[in-house]
Amino acid sequence: MDVLGFYPMWYVPAIGSASVIAIIATIHVLASHTSVGASILLAYLATKAHRENLPQIYDYIKRYLLGLLVFSYVSGSITGPGIWFSASVANPRGISALIHNFVWVWAAEWIWFVAEVTLVYILYYTLGRIDMKSWLRLAWTFAIGSWATMYIIVGILSFMLSPGHEKWFVSGNILDAFYNKNYFPHLLMRSSYMFAIAGTVGIAIASLMKKDLPEKVYKDIVRTLSFWGIGGLVFGTMFFGWYVSTLPQRSLVMLSGIVPKWYYALIFIILLVLLSHFMLTAIRPTVARFYMAYPIYLLIFFMGIYPEEKIRETIRKPYVAGEFVWVNQIIAKDVPAKGIHSEVPKIQQAGFLASNPFVPEGLKKITPDNEIMAGKAIAILQCSGCHNVTSSSGLRPFGQKFAGMTDKETVYSFLASYLTPQNHPPYMPYFVGKDEELRALSAYIADMISKGGRVSAKIEVPRQSFEAHK
Amino acid sequence: MQMTVYQNLIRWFLLWVLGVLLLGGRLAFAGQSPAEVSQMLKAMADPAGAPFYPIVMQILQVLTWALHIVVVWTSVGGLLYAIYGFMRKEENHQRLARAMLELAKVSVSLAIVLGVAPLLFYQVIYDPLWYASANLSASWYVMFIVFLLIGYYLIWFAYFRRQNSTQAMVFSIGGVVFLLLVGFIIHAVNYQALYPEKWVEWYTSGGITMNHSGWNIYAFNIFRYLSLLVFPAVATTGIFMMLYAWYFGTRREEFPQEYINFSARLGSKLALYGGAGWIVFHILYILTVPSEWNAKGSIFTWLSVLGLLLCASIIFIAQKNPVRMAVTSLVGGVVAIITVAIFREYLRVASAGRFGYSIYEYKLNLEWLSPMLFFGTLLTGLVLYAYAWWMAYKAGRTPKGQVYQASETEHHLGEASVFVVVLWAVVFIGVGLIVIARNYL
Repeated sequence: MDVLGFYPMWYVPAIGSASVIAIIATIHVLASHTSVGASILLAYLATKAHRENLPQIYDYIKRYLLGLLVFSYVSGSITGPGIWFSASVANPRGISALIHNFVWVWAAEWIWFVAEVTLVYILYYTLGRIDMKSWLRLAWTFAIGSWATMYIIVGILSFMLSPGHEKWFVSGNILDAFYNKNYFPHLLMRSSYMFAIAGTVGIAIASLMKKDLPEKVYKDIVRTLSFWGIGGLVFGTMFFGWYVSTLPQRSLVMLSGIVPKWYYALIFIILLVLLSHFMLTAIRPTVARFYMAYPIYLLIFFMGIYPEEKIRETIRKPYVAGEFVWVNQIIAKDVPAKGIHSEVPKIQQAGFLASNPFVPEGLKKITPDNEIMAGKAIAILQCSGCHNVTSSSGLRPFGQKFAGMTDKETVYSFLASYLTPQNHPPYMPYFVGKDEELRALSAYIADMISKGGRVSAKIEVPRQSFEAHK
Repeated sequence: MQMTVYQNLIRWFLLWVLGVLLLGGRLAFAGQSPAEVSQMLKAMADPAGAPFYPIVMQILQVLTWALHIVVVWTSVGGLLYAIYGFMRKEENHQRLARAMLELAKVSVSLAIVLGVAPLLFYQVIYDPLWYASANLSASWYVMFIVFLLIGYYLIWFAYFRRQNSTQAMVFSIGGVVFLLLVGFIIHAVNYQALYPEKWVEWYTSGGITMNHSGWNIYAFNIFRYLSLLVFPAVATTGIFMMLYAWYFGTRREEFPQEYINFSARLGSKLALYGGAGWIVFHILYILTVPSEWNAKGSIFTWLSVLGLLLCASIIFIAQKNPVRMAVTSLVGGVVAIITVAIFREYLRVASAGRFGYSIYEYKLNLEWLSPMLFFGTLLTGLVLYAYAWWMAYKAGRTPKGQVYQASETEHHLGEASVFVVVLWAVVFIGVGLIVIARNYL
């Protein structure tokens, strides 16, 4: 039997493996945007200090750099590969598709990562130990190098959502894939909001140094950060509008109908909070307080970035990479330029379970003995990317979605009419497999619902099925 | 009499453990047939193919891994010594412990960032090995990130409390425990990847289930772990101590000669003992490699042993004058690391080769634009690194309280680095604008 290149499945009940990525990604985005925004803000402040002969600003810069070292260059540095690690196990074929297309681009980003990490240490340790002209050069190259990491990753993130153009599927040209339709609005949006993030934490750090700095210098720093923050918010929101206008149609459908409305509410509130805070500190820098600025910074995590990451993940569906790899890891579309073929026809013919080398032999041929367990295996393999398939709580749970459907024929009729190539919703893949596999999935769902909507995630191959294939 | 019985029991038990460990990967499940494994591996290779010649990916993977592992070793070794140093009352030990803690702190940062590249190149040509193995132990693989975060913050706590030797020691112990734990996870994932014939059996527990929780570790080899992580950490940190003495020895008044000599001597001893342990466990690991991989008959295996012996000989000679021999010892260390890195890669080639999987036959979808981007960025980066590291080197050798004034040549290098970095950004954005205009306007 020919197998396809599926990997061992990792199933995270309740929150789902996608939420594991989202949590790690949220920490990373907060840390990295703080760092990139701060690199430019600090280079600007250092230049100002040099030109206006305000050496006290260097003390502030040193403290901010230490803050970056402790937060961004620990949490940010680790959660960057952390996104990659979690994506490798949550969706190995999705991340593989990206790496096989963009390996050199990522490797180029790595050059800047190394520059960033070494330069932040060098800047911290050499401030006041080498002449300022040389230090400023290092500071500006640090700023551009940090920003360059964003230039690069945004292209890959945009491609994940959509190559933007049918052209890439036939040209295979990396430029068509990378510089896709929403590259620039996406880059400009992040490049703007990062100043609001870095500005907020910058104000928190400044407020801790209020007593150590001359009043004029202190006010200068807080005002500068506030103005940059206001600019970041205004431009970021403008570019967000442009970004939305470049999204593919299916994403717009999800934005208007599927994404929970409270995500938008949270983002709107945090933008207002940030704007009010910056306006206040711009007008009266002396009112800046650590206990005000730092909680706002933390709120950005919960109210700004986490919903944003969840929205981004949602509007990408049913794909995880370049509109050809589905969220359940099946390659669903040909990419002629790369010699990639849709796996759907093969799976329809050979069967979904039989195509996966990591499915026990005793489940590959469906019998009355193993039907429910085979159905559970299908649910975990094909649906758990977006659903909690063994319970009634957590991520879009089966227990709720199928509430009351205890008859397997009813479930089958529903799935057979809903998850077809013609009728499937734009955010969900259709079912791929043999009819008997859809029946097994239905039998499992009906069985699970009849047991109260909650069953163990364990898969046990019935003895007879195991013996038959031993 | 009773004592002798116990001693004999313990001896026999230890011998039994050693025997089991030596058998290593040959035990466990029988595994799938070679034809099935071959088919599975080929199906798993990404249909997009490699965007460039696999051998280039392989070379870059080996070289960048060598860079990465050096700083992994100085992270672990720096902490191990810091713990010992903080326990000692003598001022020299205390001072060197603080310096090694600083080394560990910076090394972890570098280890994280330098670890990205080898994994990137590896995943392009060995994707079946890596993703399958990582997914077998998926939850542990994600916990790698969590443990690393905890470990790194403990190291920072130790650093902030470095003037209090007891607290610094306690945090350092926590830090090194977590680093060794993440080392264990990545070691297990790498080791499991070498046994594709067992993956299905492991995942399905012989056909009765699907172990999708990811909370399983299926294979571990203590000799590989000790020879690729623990002993080299001690040896490399020893060489680093010698370099530390060499770097600060002649230029900075706040480093008394007696302290410099102490650091160099201690470093050379650590390098010697760590190196000896490294060689022993490297050979023991070679003995555990299944015979059908032909490791004992491979030139790469013996080159790695020779590389280690050469390094050990240099360090042995360096015992007499460790400061003068610091840079030579570094060269010896580089040779050892590269030969070990090549040996480690050879094992992958040999393991996958048993099933007809060869990276040299990986599907190729050749393209030139993105490699140009990488090598262009690399050149830009090298100019910037050269300038930045040179300035750091000069600043470090400037006596405390003084400001280093760059020479005219250094200013020119600085201007050149700013120029190439700005040029890179302009070209990157400019190309993007042209492509967007061509495709969408």
